[in-house]
Order: sequence, then structure tokens, then C-alpha cells
Amino acid sequence: MGTPGGAGSVEGADDLPEAADRRLGSGSFSSALTVPDFAACLQMGLQPVGLVQGFCVMQWGWYGANSPYMRGASPYAPSGGRGGYSATWQCPHGFVSTEHRMWGQNYEQSWVEAAWAQGFGSAYTRLVEEAHAIGAHGVIGVVDRATHLADMGVTEFHIMGTAVVVDGGPPPPGGQPWTTYLAGQRLAKLVEAGFMPVAVAATMASVRVWAYCVTEYLMEGGSWAWSGGPGTQEVDQIIHAHTAVRRIAREHVRQQLAGDSLQGARLLTSARRLSEGDEVIECTLRGTRVRRVRDADPLPTPRPTVRLT
Amino acid sequence: MSEPTGLPKGAGHRLEELEHGLFTSDLSVNEFLLVKEAGFHPLGFVMGSSIYHTGIQTRRWGQSQELTKLTEAMYNARELAMTRMEEEADQLGADGVVGVRLDVNYYEWGSDAAEFIAMGTAVKAESGASYRNTLGKPFTSDLSGQDFWTIMQTGYVPQGLVMGTCVYHIAHRGMMQALGNAGQNVELPNFTQALYEARELAMTRMQDEATQLGASGIVGVRLEEKSHQWGSHTIEFLALGTAVTRTSGEVTLPRPTTIISLDN
Repeated sequence: MGTPGGAGSVEGADDLPEAADRRLGSGSFSSALTVPDFAACLQMGLQPVGLVQGFCVMQWGWYGANSPYMRGASPYAPSGGRGGYSATWQCPHGFVSTEHRMWGQNYEQSWVEAAWAQGFGSAYTRLVEEAHAIGAHGVIGVVDRATHLADMGVTEFHIMGTAVVVDGGPPPPGGQPWTTYLAGQRLAKLVEAGFMPVAVAATMASVRVWAYCVTEYLMEGGSWAWSGGPGTQEVDQIIHAHTAVRRIAREHVRQQLAGDSLQGARLLTSARRLSEGDEVIECTLRGTRVRRVRDADPLPTPRPTVRLT
Repeated sequence: MSEPTGLPKGAGHRLEELEHGLFTSDLSVNEFLLVKEAGFHPLGFVMGSSIYHTGIQTRRWGQSQELTKLTEAMYNARELAMTRMEEEADQLGADGVVGVRLDVNYYEWGSDAAEFIAMGTAVKAESGASYRNTLGKPFTSDLSGQDFWTIMQTGYVPQGLVMGTCVYHIAHRGMMQALGNAGQNVELPNFTQALYEARELAMTRMQDEATQLGASGIVGVRLEEKSHQWGSHTIEFLALGTAVTRTSGEVTLPRPTTIISLDN
């Protein structure tokens, strides 16, 4: 889904709070870099100019487990009627009882992905606005998190990093600072290899699993061993969901790359059980969009070492 | 304690022993080695403590606002603990304190009271040169021994552990407001602005402290959030970092060496 990778244009710092202006306007810099990363930053000719951040609080939780909204969505309609990935499974037993799950379906929750993209994208745009406001060339060591605020039913997106200027360097193309999750020696190695960071790329994919009888039976620990079948076996519907959610996340990020490469990709998948046979599988994929700007420098011969710790 | 920033009698006896050459420290062996390599000698483990009663402040159900009384309490209590730790270091003739940790503990016996503790290792330059900060006090920093060595190599010296705090009450949403947005993916701008403002206030105060020390920057900034015992809608935002100043003279940073570790 949308976002930052191609990152929204800098629209000025109109929606930043008053305190942010005061902080960013002061003479000293602050940085969230660790000391080794700070030293590596200076060694590369980058000067930290300030800690920059962006927030967005989104109403989002309402679409969660067992909400009236979800109950209203037919599990039999393709993707709950919204397009995107969808697959169905049919029970081999025919009608057994009204409680028997004759159909199963996996479907992409595109509205959940849209909420995540909107929250992350707004927070990211504010981070870039802050960096732009202090004349930064780039933002390094970006970290982000999405936190559910207790008792409020909302999710907060918080993204922060350290704005830097390149000693004697020209302003970034279009005046928009580049951003990267990397800092310190990892960033130095990237630059040595002939690449420059363009922007952070991040996305989330969400697939809902509505189990049919076979999946439900296997997920509850059942097996076909009693009838001479295999004692352990794959749960086809769940495997499909896990494969799909990773594929969707990769496709979303690929759309943000626009021909560049993704460096340091971190793919995290989690599953939440909502009720018996019903779960949501979510996958986030983060990385730094990088572009080759020159040939790689040959690396010096490494020195073998043994640490005494 | 005879005065607000005074030290207890027990501390006097312990510090006397340290003045006679024995030293204690919470540095690991590697940290000790690097602090020595940076040209400093540990003098002793120093600490400061303050048990503080936090007052009560009424908050409006539907309004986001800073709770200034609580902010002051959290700030003053930490400041008292830090000042006492600095006094111990000063008594030892230290140039600074490294590896400072700031903790808050709550005890069952003290409702609405909390103990604020600051601890670290006092160090002194072996060259005899003074590394005290612009206020003439020992510098404080939460840098580890390794980080302390590294920052000295970059031509910066620590000035002080700086902090800013802001206790903020986040408004509850009204029924009509919640119903109005029901079922939509929508940003809640009031919440965004409230959280934004609270963190910015904490960070601005931290930066103001650094400016008072004449620092050129702050490294290793951490943003911590805790609700303590106030409920989920009241949050303390704490910004912490080490203010540093650039020393005069050009520093040539060593080029990193590529290595292959032969460890597992």
C-alpha cells in the first residue's frame, strides 16, 4: 500500500505543533544516534542537526476482531467484496450440521492496510517536514513503531530519526531530504559499496482466515493418524494465508521502489487468533530504498581478530 | 538530612574511605579498561536519592492538557537525586560521572510517593586537566565506558546528563465524537496534536538544559513514556540525553578497520 517510499511531497511545516518550532529553532542539535553511530556519522562527513519526528493517531481498532463491521462482511464474497487476494475452500463432507464449517475463505483486508498506510504515511510526512524545516539533507537512523493506546481504541504511529547535513554537499534533489533506517557503520558500508539511500520503504499486509472444517480440525490438534493417514501434515489454508500475506507485502514495497533496490529488508509476520478457526495474519516489511550512484570501492583486506570477551 | 541537597552521614564515611585511594565502580572490566585508555581514573561509585511525594492535580475529562504540578514534581525529584550524586562526586574531587542511571521506584508503604535514584561512577582525568563543565561542576553522562572512549575520540566532551519531562493528560473522546467517526479510517488530530505537543515540550526542556550548559549538541537521546500510577490517559514523557561540547582543535577521526571475527 501506499507510502513513504515514494514519500509524499513536503508541504511546509504548517501542521507541526508550536513546541516543535521552538525546539527546531534552537542553536544546539539533538540526536537519537548511539555514540558509535554518532562517531561514524562524523567520520562520513555528516553533521547531525537535530532529532526529527512525526506522529499520527489513527482510529483503527474498530475493524478488529468480531466487530459488527466484520460480521456484516460475507466470508463467501470474494475478498469480502473489496478486491485483492481471495481464496476459498470447500468442505468434502457435505451438510452435517448448521455448526459445521462447510466453507472456508482467506481474504486480504485492504481497508486495514489502507489505515496502516495512512497512519504511517502521515507520521512520515511530518518527519520529513521537520527535517526540511531545519535545512537537513537527509535523516538517518529512522525508527518507527505503531502503539495501541490503552483504553482509547486508537493506534499511534511514531517515527523518528536524526536529521543530518552533508559537509559541503549540495541540497538534495527537489529539496526533499532522503531518509534511511541505517546509521553508523551500516550506512558507511552502503555508501562505500556505491549506493545512496533514497527513502525508507514500509508496508503492511493483512489477511483474514475464515477456517473451514478441515482447517479447524487440524488447528485444534487433530490428525488423520487414526485412519492410517499421516500423523503430521500441512494445514493448506493457513499456509496459503502466510504465503499470500508475505507476497502482498513484497508487492506493495515493489510498487514503492520504482526501479530502485531495497536494502536491509525486515519482514515480520504475526498471527492473531480472533476466535475458533478465525485469525488475522499480518506482515510488515521495512527497508531502505537505495540507488546505485557509482561503482563500488574495493574493500580493504580484512584483518582476522579474536575478541577477548 | 540537614538541608534539601545535603548528604546523609553514612555517605560521608563511605566517601572518606574512597578519598584514601580505594575505589569502587559499577563499570565492567572492558568499560574500566576503556575509561583508563581515555585518560581517566575511576574514583568511586556515587549516588543520590530523593523520596518525593507527588501532589494531586485535577484534570478535565475531555481536555488534553499538561499537568504542571506533576511535571514539576517529576522534574524536581530527579533534579534532587542528580544534585546529590553530583555532590558526592564533587566531594571526591571528580571531573565527571559516567554510566549514570536514573531510576524511579515505588514502595507499598508510600502512597503517591516514589524514590528517585541516580547512580554512576565518578572519574578524574589522569593528566590533571579539568574536565568540569561550564558551571564548574563535574560533568554527568549516561554513556557507557565504551561510548565515553568513543565520544572523546570524536573531539567532543560530555557536559551533563540533560533531561526534560512533561506529564500530560490526554483527553477522553466524547460519545458523539466517537460515533461521528465510527467505522472510518481517520486520523484523530486532537490526539495527534496532544501527544506531539507533550513530547515536544519534554524535548524542548531537555534542549534548554543543554543550552544552559553551553553544549553544542546532545547525543543518545531517549524518549521514555510511563503512566506510573496515574491511569492510561495520564502519561509522563521523559527525554534524556548527554549534552556534549566540541573541544577546540581539529580532530582526525581514525578510519574504521575491516575485520573478520574468528569468534563463534
